[in-house]
Amino acid sequence: MKNKLIELKELTKNFDDQQVLKGIDLDIYENEFLTLLGPSGCGKTTTLRILAGFDEPSSGQVLFNGIEISKIPPYKREINTVFQKYALFPHLNVEDNIAFGLNLKKQDKSMISQKVDRMLKMVGLEGFGKRDVALLSGGQQQRVAIARALVNEPKVLLLDEPLGALDAKIRKQMQVELKKIQREVGITFVYVTHDQEEALSMSDTVVVMNNGEIQQIGSPTDIYNEPENRFVANFIGESNIIEGHMIRDFLVEFDGYQFECVDKGFPENEEIEVVLRPEDLDIVEPDQAKITGIVRNITFKGVHYEIMIETEKRTYMVQTTDYAEPGRRVGLTFGPEDVHVMWKMGVY
Amino acid sequence: MKKKKSFFNRFYVVLCLAFFYLPILVTMIFSFNSSKSLTRFSGFSLRWYSELLNNVEVVKAVYVSVSIAIIATIVSTVLGTITAIGLSRNRKVVRELILNVNEIPILNPEIVTAIGLMLLFSSIGMRKGYITMLLAHITFCTPYVITSVYPKVRSLDPNLANAAMDLGATPYQALVKIVVPMIKEGIFAGALLAFTMSFDDFVISYFVTGNGTKNISIVVYNMTKRINPTINALSTIVILVIIVVLVAANIVPDMMKKRGFSGTTRKEKAVVLVLVVVLLAGLIQCGSVSRQQKVLKVYNAGEYIDLSLLEQFEEEYNCTVIYETFESNEMMYTKLSSGESYDVLVPSDYMIERLIKEEYLQHLDWDMIPNSENLMEEVMDQSYDPGNRYSCPYFWGTVGILYDKTVVDPEDLEDGWELLRNPKYKGKIYMYDSERDSFMIALKALGYSMNTTDENEIQEAYEWLISQRDTMDPIYAGDDVIDNMISGNKAIAVVYSGDASYIISENEDMDYFTPQQGTNVWYDAMLITKDCNEVDLAHDFINFMLREDCALANTEEVGYTSPVQSAFDEMKEGTYEGVSSYIPEIDNPKNEIFAYQTPKIKQKYAELWTKVKAQ
Repeated sequence: MKNKLIELKELTKNFDDQQVLKGIDLDIYENEFLTLLGPSGCGKTTTLRILAGFDEPSSGQVLFNGIEISKIPPYKREINTVFQKYALFPHLNVEDNIAFGLNLKKQDKSMISQKVDRMLKMVGLEGFGKRDVALLSGGQQQRVAIARALVNEPKVLLLDEPLGALDAKIRKQMQVELKKIQREVGITFVYVTHDQEEALSMSDTVVVMNNGEIQQIGSPTDIYNEPENRFVANFIGESNIIEGHMIRDFLVEFDGYQFECVDKGFPENEEIEVVLRPEDLDIVEPDQAKITGIVRNITFKGVHYEIMIETEKRTYMVQTTDYAEPGRRVGLTFGPEDVHVMWKMGVY
Repeated sequence: MKKKKSFFNRFYVVLCLAFFYLPILVTMIFSFNSSKSLTRFSGFSLRWYSELLNNVEVVKAVYVSVSIAIIATIVSTVLGTITAIGLSRNRKVVRELILNVNEIPILNPEIVTAIGLMLLFSSIGMRKGYITMLLAHITFCTPYVITSVYPKVRSLDPNLANAAMDLGATPYQALVKIVVPMIKEGIFAGALLAFTMSFDDFVISYFVTGNGTKNISIVVYNMTKRINPTINALSTIVILVIIVVLVAANIVPDMMKKRGFSGTTRKEKAVVLVLVVVLLAGLIQCGSVSRQQKVLKVYNAGEYIDLSLLEQFEEEYNCTVIYETFESNEMMYTKLSSGESYDVLVPSDYMIERLIKEEYLQHLDWDMIPNSENLMEEVMDQSYDPGNRYSCPYFWGTVGILYDKTVVDPEDLEDGWELLRNPKYKGKIYMYDSERDSFMIALKALGYSMNTTDENEIQEAYEWLISQRDTMDPIYAGDDVIDNMISGNKAIAVVYSGDASYIISENEDMDYFTPQQGTNVWYDAMLITKDCNEVDLAHDFINFMLREDCALANTEEVGYTSPVQSAFDEMKEGTYEGVSSYIPEIDNPKNEIFAYQTPKIKQKYAELWTKVKAQ
């Protein structure tokens, strides 16, 4: 296992009489790409600002290499930030923006210009040094912001929804590049976003937050495949969420039928919720399935069809490459590994 | 059609420019006039500039104005900028509240701020002068800086300062290297506004200053009594200063941009430091009055003394004189009643009567004024202070008619005040824009007492004035009469005898007479206040002003009639030989001295006078 770099312990934060962080416990490791994911107002940005030093926690600890840093001002931390709207200094050119931190440290001029050039090369902006930052495109400004932070060789880079202002195509491209840069510099990235796809495709670890609390910590596949509760399941991708109860280990009942599953460790007869991902469901002839229903709607989505099937108890969403005639009666099947059992919200 | 339109456009622009700049241009041209006239150019000369530079009062005032403007600009800019930045980080309620409160001093009439500050300084017992003026200027400049900086701060991305700190800048470095450069246009505009507001402020400065500290506006205001081209010279210099500041304001930012951003260099810091040190040194020198010396505070009307006499007195008696001037008796009374303290006052007869009644004065010890034997007997023991228990005459004279000998028929003079209703001279008359003097004329013309309280008599006088207005088309003028009569612009004017002497000495066509129906004989006299700190020195001062050589120098400079016999005789036979106005005709039994008016009568006069002037 890698070394722990940052530990957050029972972190809370109150603004006036509103509690925006309700006890955050989180370990961040060296060289890790960690993403704080959640809807707006979930506390992810506040957590980031506490890490950067712009806000002080109301209680709890922030340990950096084992040392408490929550009272240390931002300019004394080995942490740099890439801001939401980049916050480039409009009165300085690209070069001077990047060199800002180094100039403050009164480093040797030739050394500074070497480092700046290396950064420009890394972010793909060679020859842009003398440009006015206000005249750059969004993507280019983004790269300058990253270079400006990384040139200081921080131990941790914080990124606050850095791709939010970019259009879809450039965003995809930047995702790849960011990941590449992270591997290249080999430092910890803490990334804040509300875009689940972004989180899943870039991160080593995803932290799902809601209402000032952590909902789940895990690798992208864990988070997707084994959501711990309805909120995570709903937030990450589209899901069919069905209430039911656990008969015993590896056996669950919902919609009036019993199904095999791979989950265990729940008390017998525990009220639970089951997640069935739309792409895990298969459409078969009605006699080959326990659950049957009528095709109500079919939408072509490019790679697949999205089909709504009305059954006795509920409407299921299915994503499949097969076409199904609306109005036809069909059966729904899935394997035991496709049934994800999770605790009911608020119970654990 | 298009052509026509563009002609009108251009004409309009030219008209605007002319309207803005012609007055300034005229002022500048006449500052180089070789003669004293403000309306007739008689040759190029730098005479007024050299006179300006030799005028200690003006040079001091320039220093006061400039140094206060610079310090007030720096302090209010720093204060306002910090406040604006701080405000932007406050909660909305606090922010809006403070911004609204900040608007009040800007929208408030200046006079309210002025009186408020004056009372504040009085009530906390602060000695009025340079420091109080500076504090007042900082106070009224700061809101302007806040209003011009705040929108700039609001438009900043709040993350910019965070970004700077994130990259290793301390909060101070973030402020200086990032925030300030981003809002520098706002700061600059605010500073410029503050400088111009401070530099030409009159109202507030006038009320909060004291102990002889005057800025340019106050000096100019006091000078307008006897307008002369020194004011033009001063105005020209002020205009040049403002042009330099404006040009600098436009050029400096460009230069800074060209040089690239590198913060302030060491050289610039040194220059700023030197500037501050020089100013502080000047400030201390200006503000300090040597503590060992006795200090005498004298309050006199503007342009009403030979200033070199003050220096002479200081030297001979080893003391410091703080000399302040007022524009009218009423203004003097306001300052006095607001708690300002003076040692010696020089107001007019009716005001003296009032001050005696309200117990502002102390008895004079005539044994301490041996030079009182120089005084003419005629000026003593008048109705405003029987037995001269409180007052010692300073200047005296009459109100009469100044006329152009080449235009006015001598026979018409026999009509006395009715000359002012002689249709021959329609459109050629200046009346004096003063209710009391105007009613005096009407009452005397009608054969009544000018101190009457009889409503019917006052009503009759009002009708006299109305008929004069309707038939004669007179101009109701102030002190600009002096210059206009020197230039011979009209044939007849109601003037004070001292002004008449001055006009006649400049324009030989003019002469002066006091109508046989009687006129106002007035006296201005020296008084010692009840709370005078230097009673002996105050008596010495009065004694000094009565000394024969001093009285002569004073009357020569000012042009008003001296109460000292030898000076009076010398002027009568020397400088003002043949100038009738210098010798007040006081043997006319119909002459009177103004008595103190009750507020009710005063109000009545004011109302009627407003009606007369409203066409």
